[in-house]
Amino acid sequence: MKRDLVLCGVGGQGILSIAAVVDQAAVAAGFQVKQPEVHGMSQRGGAVHAFVRMSDGEIACDLPPDGAAEAILSVEPLEALRYVNWLAPAGVIVTDLTPVANLKNYPDSDRLYEALYSLPRVIGVDATRLARKAGSPRAQNMVVLGAAAALLPLEPERIEHHIAELFARKGEATVHTNLVAFRMGRTAAALLARLVDAGVVPLHAARVVARLDLGPEPVDGAVLIACMALASCPDAIARIDEAVGATAAMPLDAAALSKLAEPCLSRVATPA
Amino acid sequence: MNHDILLGAEAVARGAVDAGISAAYAYPGTPSTEIFETILELDRRDGLHLHARWSANEKVALEEALGMSYAGRRALVSFKHVGLNVAADPFLNSALTGAHGGLVIAVADDPSMHSSQNEQDSRFYADFANVPCLEPSSQQEAYEMAVDAFDVSERLKMPVMLRLTTRLAHSRAVVTPRPRRAQNVAKFTDESWKWTLLPSNARKAFDELLAHQVDFQAWSQAHPANQLTVTGQGRPGIVASGIAIGYVKAALAEKLNDYNLLHIGAYPIPEASLRSLVASSSALYVFEEGYPLIERLLVGIGRDPSVPVYGRLSGLVPRAGELNADKVKRAFGLPLAAKVHVPAAVANVMQPRAPVLCEGCPHTDSYRFLNEVMAEHPGSRVMGDIGCYTLGYYAPHNGIQSCVCMGASIGMASGVVHAGLWPVVCVLGDSTFTHSGLPPLLDAIREDTDMTVMILDNSIVAMTGGQETLVGETDKIVKLVKGLGANPDHIHVLSPLPKAHEQNVALLRQEVAHRGLSVIVASRACVTYAKQIKENRRHQGLPGMVANLEGKP
Repeated sequence: MKRDLVLCGVGGQGILSIAAVVDQAAVAAGFQVKQPEVHGMSQRGGAVHAFVRMSDGEIACDLPPDGAAEAILSVEPLEALRYVNWLAPAGVIVTDLTPVANLKNYPDSDRLYEALYSLPRVIGVDATRLARKAGSPRAQNMVVLGAAAALLPLEPERIEHHIAELFARKGEATVHTNLVAFRMGRTAAALLARLVDAGVVPLHAARVVARLDLGPEPVDGAVLIACMALASCPDAIARIDEAVGATAAMPLDAAALSKLAEPCLSRVATPA
Repeated sequence: MNHDILLGAEAVARGAVDAGISAAYAYPGTPSTEIFETILELDRRDGLHLHARWSANEKVALEEALGMSYAGRRALVSFKHVGLNVAADPFLNSALTGAHGGLVIAVADDPSMHSSQNEQDSRFYADFANVPCLEPSSQQEAYEMAVDAFDVSERLKMPVMLRLTTRLAHSRAVVTPRPRRAQNVAKFTDESWKWTLLPSNARKAFDELLAHQVDFQAWSQAHPANQLTVTGQGRPGIVASGIAIGYVKAALAEKLNDYNLLHIGAYPIPEASLRSLVASSSALYVFEEGYPLIERLLVGIGRDPSVPVYGRLSGLVPRAGELNADKVKRAFGLPLAAKVHVPAAVANVMQPRAPVLCEGCPHTDSYRFLNEVMAEHPGSRVMGDIGCYTLGYYAPHNGIQSCVCMGASIGMASGVVHAGLWPVVCVLGDSTFTHSGLPPLLDAIREDTDMTVMILDNSIVAMTGGQETLVGETDKIVKLVKGLGANPDHIHVLSPLPKAHEQNVALLRQEVAHRGLSVIVASRACVTYAKQIKENRRHQGLPGMVANLEGKP
């Protein structure tokens, strides 16, 4: 068993904190770990990346070869694309969908998401919004880690234990915020996976999920049914945006969602 | 309990502390900074009472360590590869003085130039100085070699280089430490003649050093990091040094059993092992993280050409840049792993995201008024230096047109003036100024060179992560400049704040127009490390505020 991960984002987004949590959890689970990272010039708002290599056997070198990574975990959507050379043919990109557009020629969102979703496996979550809801926008890195948790050979409880350890010196509230953020990431990814399994186009599914008022708990049946109904409507995004009165991501709670989904319900079968 | 998952740089620091150092000396520079920072942390955590403060520059760091060694105690010196250029004088001479207390110089090279102006290979310096060098291939080995380096240094009475590269210095793995050893008791060397390098002594010391080479060879030949494996006579052979062995293992996997293999991790190059490898191999493939040091020895003009040598010199491996497993695979013509199919849409949106000055950075304001004044002199240039403000080269600032090495801005600006061009301005940070800006400024003061030196004083070494500066206070910088003899009428302190823009433009315009030397200290604390600056100042017993936050001289 081996897992190579690329962790990436923009300087200051807590990329190395994701690495620290995964390192500790992986070593505690008995894996060997090598984890190269960048320091220095890149810290000044530039692109930052790290690799986590874990294996139950010896890891020959610190730097993974091209095509080795099973997953890219990115806290910024354009950054997710910067490291695709490292991604294996069946590799997954897990990314926050909220751009950090501090560049002159940052692509507009249509082109950006078209490029992102041109890759075969993408789990896109609105980590920025979910983190804010969890208590702090700085926890967006833990939302991304949560969204990727199912891809890691590590028990989520074990990861949570090391999140709590990492943030312990910053106090109880910070620990709580980061744990909730991690759980929200898991919930969002689980919901996305169900929608995509049900045949919803991934970008479409991501847009629906990005507009939901997700809690840290697993998604209940009503939300899932409503989502699937909505996501199968060609005009779902427009309908949601109209309902919440904004084009930006706005939270919809379960009740509002169900109401909105009612006209579409006949389109989908109840999930098992 | 958390495991010790350490960067290679941190492992070196742990090793040095466990080897019983009494002091550590360093100047920050990527990828070496974490070595000294970890020592500071361990010193604080474990109450070690080490002498550990950042030095003014790398030369000073090494000289302080030499004094510690002269007094019989162990010292670790750490800096980046180009720092060794600054410290080259004491380094090369320390081979003649030898070491009394253990002396280890940890140098972190930066192949691929992630955060550096060149990718020089420090092993050449060890070879040049005729001193032993250790090159770890893993974090655990970095730890163990740091410990062993002190033993070797005291046994061979020689300074020892510990050479890291970025990919090990900045990569983490579990490290298992050994028990910690006590410090040495201070006791002067009884060979002070060796430390007094008058020609009469130096000739004797050099003869000793040369005679000593046999012992270094014997040591390196027997070192466990230098492993020769001959799997069969007449098979192709591989030489891999340091972390290159990992890439070779990753690329060849079980095919490695079809090759003879020499791994080198201790220098001088173990000549007997290398000779047996050559004698048993049909061809040689050389993989080194850095310059072709071993390959050059193998290629040697006039050698027997029946054993071809392939590596960076032959062109089989790219001459520049870090190694990786794929470069090794290409060298052997092995297929690379499949990658995800990347549609053209991805390349179409890709944009570089270069590092930028932080929002609210005082340097941004400095470049604004500097650019406004320089625009009044079309074709003029600004000599730059090394620090965050080097990012002022990029748009939107486009404020500097040179950056060579620490402190070069002032000397180069003088040279431009000597060539007859005008006006000339140079910019450098406060820490760069105290690192190596004082001597060139002294030159300029002597000649009243017609130029303007701008010292960008943000009260911290920001680019490398917020280390304390030596002066810490704008007043002290001004006193320093005055003390060197600059004309007080043309020394000014200003505050690079948006609201002071017009008056800053006016002041710089006036000083650029002045036909002689002017020094302007643009003083405002770094926005990113404001908290750190306060802490450093408390540590130095200075008042909490930066003196010229409001721009008053």
